[in-house]
Amino acid sequence: MPFVFSDATTPSGNPYLRIETSGHVTLADGHAFAALIAPGAPHHRGLVLSQVAKGTEYSPDVRRYFPTLNEHFAALAVVVTSPIVRAAINLMLRFTRSGDAVLRMFTSEREALAWLESHGQARRSA
Amino acid sequence: MAVDTLRIERILRSLIAAAEGNYEVRVPLDDVEDEFLEVEVGVNFLLEELVLRRTENQTQHEALVARGEQLAVKSAALVAALSTPIITVWPGVLALPLIGPIDNERASNISATLLARVSSERATHVILDLTGVEKVSTATLSSLLRLVRSLRLIGTACLITGISAEAARQIVGLGVDPTQFKTLGRVSDALALVLSEKQSKRPSGAAHPNYRADPS
Repeated sequence: MPFVFSDATTPSGNPYLRIETSGHVTLADGHAFAALIAPGAPHHRGLVLSQVAKGTEYSPDVRRYFPTLNEHFAALAVVVTSPIVRAAINLMLRFTRSGDAVLRMFTSEREALAWLESHGQARRSA
Repeated sequence: MAVDTLRIERILRSLIAAAEGNYEVRVPLDDVEDEFLEVEVGVNFLLEELVLRRTENQTQHEALVARGEQLAVKSAALVAALSTPIITVWPGVLALPLIGPIDNERASNISATLLARVSSERATHVILDLTGVEKVSTATLSSLLRLVRSLRLIGTACLITGISAEAARQIVGLGVDPTQFKTLGRVSDALALVLSEKQSKRPSGAAHPNYRADPS
């Protein structure tokens, strides 16, 4: 399974969807992710942290599909250490052509969680 | 940003292969952080999209070809049915109005269909109407004459109507003996003749086969 989902909580208690990503991500995986953040789903408009392993690849159809999910999450932190995977995700972000996507890439999980925390606090105070 | 010429050569190799229709030559990627890496990954993305589009196009093409073949089969069946419109104009009397050009294949189909129908309906007469046929080729005329002879062999009389002046000249030009078949101007003339023949053969007082006397 390229995506392994779990429910997690940031150090300050913000719940988020955690995704361990590896291997070849297909459209079916994209749909599985979409089901968890769709309207009515537990993580709709929530926080997401994706830990992407080196060598992860995305099929052409899922690359086109991901940008359609942007409005279903509040913030998505992607932890990626491989420059190749980062370049691939950067290109996918370019497909979005929208400034609304709240997605950022990080090289460490600590920084990613801190960023998610700031979004979690913003959501609570809103 | 300075870019290693080797990396540019790798991209060119992939692009040249793609231009020749080979989308499988990917740009080799080194897991090194720099801005050019996104260009290399982008070229690979593009190649993958091209593979996908080609596969989709092939699938659509195959579906279109299959649909075309299905339509061709259906149209051939429809044309075959319309090209031999046999009508029962009276019990035991069939009329076949022929329209359009008649090639060997169509003549053969007409012959087979008509003989089968004559047999199943035990027809005594066939009216072959050529009003809609402008020109009759030598081969077609031979086929039609064979059909007339075949009908005669199974005891069915054949009347030909609507022979155009052009067709008449062709028939005479081909040296065909016109006495081999009975010709009339119109289908109605042929039908009248057949009915009078049937009337004269019927025992006096016998009713028409379709006539049912009132039991009361």
